[in-house]
Amino acid sequence: MIRLEQVTKRYGETTAVNQLSLEIGKGEVCVLIGPSGCGKTTTLRMINRLIEPTAGRIFIDGRDTATVDAEKLRLSIGYAIQSVGLFPHMTVFNNIAVVPQLLLWENNRIVRRVGELLELVGLEPADYIRKYPSQLSGGEAQRIGVARALAADPPILLMDEPFGAVDPLTRERLQAQFIHIQKEVNKTIVLVTHDLDEAIRLADRIAIMESGRLVQYDSPEIILSRPGSKFVRDFVGADRALKRLSRISVKDFIKPAAAVNVNQPKKEALASAAGHRWLWVVDDDEQLIGWVDTKTLMQSVSTKEAMDEGDAVKISILESATLREALSRMLELGFKHIPVVDDSQRLIGEVALGDIEAATAEGKG
Amino acid sequence: MPSKKTRRWFILGVALVAFVVLIANTGLWETGLRFLFPGETTVIHPRASLLVLVWEHIQLVAISSGITIILGIPLGIWVSRPSGRDFLPIVTDITSFGQTFPPVAVLALAVPVLGFGLMPTIAALFLYGLLPVVRNTIAGLHAVPSDLLDAAYGMGMSRLQALFRVELPLSARVILAGVRVSVIINIGTAMIGAVIGAGGLGSPIIAGLVRDNLAFIIEGALPAALLAILADQFLTNIENSLAYTNEPV
Repeated sequence: MIRLEQVTKRYGETTAVNQLSLEIGKGEVCVLIGPSGCGKTTTLRMINRLIEPTAGRIFIDGRDTATVDAEKLRLSIGYAIQSVGLFPHMTVFNNIAVVPQLLLWENNRIVRRVGELLELVGLEPADYIRKYPSQLSGGEAQRIGVARALAADPPILLMDEPFGAVDPLTRERLQAQFIHIQKEVNKTIVLVTHDLDEAIRLADRIAIMESGRLVQYDSPEIILSRPGSKFVRDFVGADRALKRLSRISVKDFIKPAAAVNVNQPKKEALASAAGHRWLWVVDDDEQLIGWVDTKTLMQSVSTKEAMDEGDAVKISILESATLREALSRMLELGFKHIPVVDDSQRLIGEVALGDIEAATAEGKG
Repeated sequence: MPSKKTRRWFILGVALVAFVVLIANTGLWETGLRFLFPGETTVIHPRASLLVLVWEHIQLVAISSGITIILGIPLGIWVSRPSGRDFLPIVTDITSFGQTFPPVAVLALAVPVLGFGLMPTIAALFLYGLLPVVRNTIAGLHAVPSDLLDAAYGMGMSRLQALFRVELPLSARVILAGVRVSVIINIGTAMIGAVIGAGGLGSPIIAGLVRDNLAFIIEGALPAALLAILADQFLTNIENSLAYTNEPV
């Protein structure tokens, strides 16, 4: 889809990007990462020719971009930067409509498209189309930025620190949404970031750059388990084993959990424990409401009396979570097992600490 | 409930009507000035009625400011483009010079070339009013955040599209403020046109200075001051209607 061949950019004496070759497949998320000044943003901006390479060629779908009119090229590539890129004198509607208007779409089609995009990024169209950027929160502005980049349905999306200007909590939510949206739209995305966790979370492949050179280009799993050089090893840090866990979904580690209904008689409950010391307690809707110690249960009248109540949001994790989140939650709670719930807090199973340890050990090398 | 904007235009309209009624009423002026200066034999400048003088004055200012705007804004835009950036220092120097050069001196130099009357006055006013317009155009365009231009070009806008869709709307307020300053300066400076027979509210003032008649001077100065206030309000209203503000609408 996108192919960079021996691309070099020099500014006078300094070489910002040095003979970089990179191939990004259709529908892939490629994250460019590296210390500041490594040339990652320059590389991104050469793809849509905001910066012209000094040497080398860039192909999109087999066509040399140097032979295409720069403005036409950019109209066919989505571009999102930090939230400041929204035009403050335009409403949300007009901001999103910029590229469709430049492409001379019919008005009806633009109105429909803006509505679709706002829904895609999870904002209610009626509430937002008349707002100005100054009336948006950082997270909302960021999402509008993404909607704007997707406006004309370009096959390629270039994003420069798209989640850079928001607080960590919002960033995490936006990243989750990004993964969700990407599943739906399946674009070829080149994203620049300096946040390794973000790269690991979002990338199909990570391109690590150092002073204008590409030092390793691999999937996050490989980068974390087999860093190709000392630079990469230092860059990914000593906690790379932990970071790897954030690429692994809890889904594959769920085991059936021992659970009782809160209204079940004590005897039945003890029978179903089958050797387990602890039991999860659910209500009639299968929703997790706490846990019970079988030792306490034996001395109590009913399950209800013996159980420790717990907020499902705090004592469990979602099946869409990663092993890293699961581990973190276990350490926090002091649990050796953590219950896994679905979106409506129904108990699905549990994940054991031992299995996470095994998963960490697997990738060593 | 009329909006703030409509209310402002309404107030301006009322003030304008009041102004016209006031200057059209020669009798009122005569009574007032006679009361203030009982010693003078004539208190109203005999050359033309106040209405005519004000109209002449407005014409002087409108023509010169019109030329200033038509030439000044594109000039400011041009030297802010990559193609004209080399001329930026020269243009700012010349416009600064235009304002430091006394308009009276421009008149003196222009009369041999352009003759007496309207033309040399307009030339002097044009030069004098150019600086605020050009300066503010340059400053306004310069203040547009580079991130926004990056976004504009990155999304596929041409230079012209980015200029009209992003740069000019965002700098409109600053540019229009420059226009307003220029027009107000010109209303004051246009007085000197009377020296070489261009008419306007300068006529009674010059006559008053020559004959040591304070009533004539007031007759010229007071309407000019009112005219400046009205023009200021008019242009402020235009700024508020056209330009984007950071305040939520």
